[in-house]
Amino acid sequence: MSALTIVQLYPDEMGVAGDAGNVLALSTRARRSGHATEVVRHEVGQELPANADIVVIGGGPMSAMRRIHADLMANAQTLKLWADSGVSFFAYGAGAELLSHGVTAGEAELSGVGVFPFRAERTGERVVGYLIVDSVDGPVVGFADHASRWLRNDSAESFGVVSAGVVPAGQAEGVIIGSAIATLIGGPVLPLNPDVTDAILSRALARRGETYSAGAGQEGLEEHRALDHYASEARAVIRRNAEHHFKRI
Amino acid sequence: MGFSYVLPILIGKTLRVLARLRGGGSAFPGYAALRLAPRFLHEVASQFEHGVVFVLGSNGKSTTTHMLSEVLRAHGVRVFTNPSGANLPQGIASSLLAEVSLTGRLKADIAVLEVDEAYALEFTKVLRPSTVLMLNTQVDQLYRFYETERVADMMLDTSARATEHIVTNREDPYLSKIARRIVGDQPDVTYFGASAEVIASSPHGLFNATDYRDGESSSEEHVALGELRGLEGASATVAVRDSEIEIVLPAKGLHYAIDAAAALATAAVVLGEGFVDSAAQRAFERMKPAYGRGELLQFGDEQVEFVMFKNAASLQLNLDALPEPPEQVLLAIDEGTPDISWIYDIDFSGLDHVDVITGAKAWQIALRLEHEGIPIGRVEPDLRRAIDIMRSLPKPSRGIKTWVVNYEQMMLARKLIGFGELENQR
Repeated sequence: MSALTIVQLYPDEMGVAGDAGNVLALSTRARRSGHATEVVRHEVGQELPANADIVVIGGGPMSAMRRIHADLMANAQTLKLWADSGVSFFAYGAGAELLSHGVTAGEAELSGVGVFPFRAERTGERVVGYLIVDSVDGPVVGFADHASRWLRNDSAESFGVVSAGVVPAGQAEGVIIGSAIATLIGGPVLPLNPDVTDAILSRALARRGETYSAGAGQEGLEEHRALDHYASEARAVIRRNAEHHFKRI
Repeated sequence: MGFSYVLPILIGKTLRVLARLRGGGSAFPGYAALRLAPRFLHEVASQFEHGVVFVLGSNGKSTTTHMLSEVLRAHGVRVFTNPSGANLPQGIASSLLAEVSLTGRLKADIAVLEVDEAYALEFTKVLRPSTVLMLNTQVDQLYRFYETERVADMMLDTSARATEHIVTNREDPYLSKIARRIVGDQPDVTYFGASAEVIASSPHGLFNATDYRDGESSSEEHVALGELRGLEGASATVAVRDSEIEIVLPAKGLHYAIDAAAALATAAVVLGEGFVDSAAQRAFERMKPAYGRGELLQFGDEQVEFVMFKNAASLQLNLDALPEPPEQVLLAIDEGTPDISWIYDIDFSGLDHVDVITGAKAWQIALRLEHEGIPIGRVEPDLRRAIDIMRSLPKPSRGIKTWVVNYEQMMLARKLIGFGELENQR
């Protein structure tokens, strides 16, 4: 059987927020539960692999978004096709915005791939701090750092609802469509929140006709125990400090 | 200067004494003096024969300010400099207040000031630098700066306000392009850098940020006045103009070595013909590490080597500088570093294990290392208890324990082991 293929789009340009951590969490947990993985770094000018099981993209500055934009749009059809056929996506921040219907920043505008049913608008207001969200894949903790507002299409389902942190509770967070998640929670999210990582892996492996065995039972997989323990302790600290607003220097 | 400054200076000095009595330093006296006499800094600085140097950069400001000051002193130049904890305008004004006479006289020939990037441009309005040294643009505190290119612009715009010289990093994609922004021949631009071989011999090079907004995302090519040509442990060879100077660095690492090249190039620009190789060499020989940057402190009958980091670049470059995985390691990070997403961009393979991870973010670091399969002894978020664990470990063969810490944890750790003086009180 072929290895589970994780494609990271533009890791240098769109990976400024430790987004490699999301890829690492997926590949580490998959490997430790016995699934071979292959990580493909897609750079500008390269060809996308023929198939992908999971696509990851992260955050980056506007200049980096512009730099990769042409290459991304040249691959838009493939990416859209992948999403429509159930490939899992985990898209954070600016990368997620490029997979939406487009980004507006003042006068500037960048078109999007159209995987996610929203548009992004850059605002003058920066959101910085811990964030806790009740998501469709369980509670999620992370660190938010952005100046974006996502305008969801009427039919769009949000990834979750904010329960605490720097954004008022009750506000919708992110977008999920099929197996594709777009979020503004950084941290990076997947190492800190194994439930989400496992949910993504389960969907991706199920689509290949394989079973992911990590989440079964209270104890979880022996090989995941240290990861789960550290993640759970890290989340507990973040929960305690979520209301603490650090000084802006 | 004159008698018109007596009152503001007296008030500032009095406030300063009061702040000290209360314990700790304070930026308020400087703030007060600047409010009462906005031209106070300008007037004081106009006495300096060699003007005012601003040192800017994402990393290495304190180290380079220290190096440049010492090299100038070795040439007999009287230097006023600010302690690295005080790099905001009010803090700089406060530290000047401590030194000036009541009529505003200050016995110095030059001021070498490290200045926070975010305040530097505004600061040029009250204190115009004659020389601006720009060290590097590295991804740093995005929660504060948003985008790295904004930081680059803060530095580039500040440097363009220099009245005489800019000294900049040839190897920095953003900063190497400053000449494009200078109209006419003032300020002049001088470069420092490192040879391609030296950069290539370090696992992750210089870790400078890529310039995504420019067609040319890497750095521009220039001839460097000060060039790092060799590096072996703490021994470095830096060419200044046509001669190579062998120096001993205050701490190991490519980042310290290129800071030394920056300091030497700047000294050569400021002193012109007065720059003497042997004096520069002497300065490095007797230089001590800057606060917490490779500093060795006594810990019972052992020693602790403090390795401080504040962002991805400084942590990676410090890890890359380790000649071998340290025998006993404590790793400490707390909420003083609000966003640590970047720990996933760090290659931790310079460590073959960590004995204790501590600080409020200890569990996040443990999680990161576990993904890499790096063995972890203990996770103890409380620093005091973590230090007790380090104390109870057998003495390492070299007698040195390595503590890799962020700024806040370093301050706390120093205090806990009996070196509690503040950075600006040394």
